[in-house]
Amino acid sequence: MDPDGDDAARLRRGDTAGLTGLMGRHQDRLFRYLLRLVGDEAVAEDTFQQTWVRVAERIGRYDASRPFAPWLFTVARNLALDHLRRRRPESLDEVDEPAAPAGVEGDPLVHAVARERAGRVATALLALAPLDREVLSLRFEEELALPELAQTLGVPVPTAKARLYRALARLRERMLAAAPAEDWR
Amino acid sequence: MSAHVRELLALAGARALDPSETERVEEHLPECAACAVEAGEWRRLAEGLGRLQAPKPSRALVARTVEAVEAQLAERAERAWNRAALGFLVAFAWTLAVVAWVVLDLVTGVLALRLDRPVGLTAAWYAAYVIAGWLTAGAAAVLLGRRSHEEGRIA
Repeated sequence: MDPDGDDAARLRRGDTAGLTGLMGRHQDRLFRYLLRLVGDEAVAEDTFQQTWVRVAERIGRYDASRPFAPWLFTVARNLALDHLRRRRPESLDEVDEPAAPAGVEGDPLVHAVARERAGRVATALLALAPLDREVLSLRFEEELALPELAQTLGVPVPTAKARLYRALARLRERMLAAAPAEDWR
Repeated sequence: MSAHVRELLALAGARALDPSETERVEEHLPECAACAVEAGEWRRLAEGLGRLQAPKPSRALVARTVEAVEAQLAERAERAWNRAALGFLVAFAWTLAVVAWVVLDLVTGVLALRLDRPVGLTAAWYAAYVIAGWLTAGAAAVLLGRRSHEEGRIA
């Protein structure tokens, strides 16, 4: 059995060592994914904690014959989308005002440095709709292949592919509006 | 520039094409300078996305999370123990009731023989006693459950 399967079985028996193992392997990517999806560090932290509590609560429903990461991301996704829907019930497919990075409000110098470091791609990404940020993060940061990506999004593979294409096209549009393609490096 | 191939360039940069689509793109690019330039743009965009930096969860957040999960696991274990204890107590109570009926029947039978006259409606008295016992236990369980629920809400 793979380490995730072993740790999931431990957690099912109520052994917290299982949780430590799963968190050790997945916490960084989960937090990164949530941050991209919700676009706000405080909300990402809350959702991160809720996700692991939900995982412990529902570990009995996890099918150990399948990879753990897509299941984990689906749990996190449902919680994050619930939050986003409460915040803006109209649509998650529309552009929201990006949240300012924590701790930089009110200090122009710190803000400028943070913006400089963030880079053009990160800036353009922040300006996209949550669902566009999500699909790009899953493909490029979490490096999920299309079938896993589709499973996490809960859609068929062709739909996942279409969403990925649409998000890339929107990102490119924003990047081109900010700078010519030759300057993207 | 072929419109069909051009639509595939973004997903080619994302390495999200199936083998036949990848083959079509690879065959087309050497023949079309415009598509080759655009493919380069998509590739640079994909590289930029792959290099994005994101903060890791803080140690404090991880510690808080572990604590919350441990509390949840402890609550789950307590609920499981309570269910097992309740099941055992119910089985024990029914066993005791059946055994007590047999014993009572024997005692009253012996007593009736010694006194040479009937002691009374043993079965009816015993049934009433058992029903009264279960009703009292049920009422106590409901009251305890409500109190426990209230305490849980306050905590």
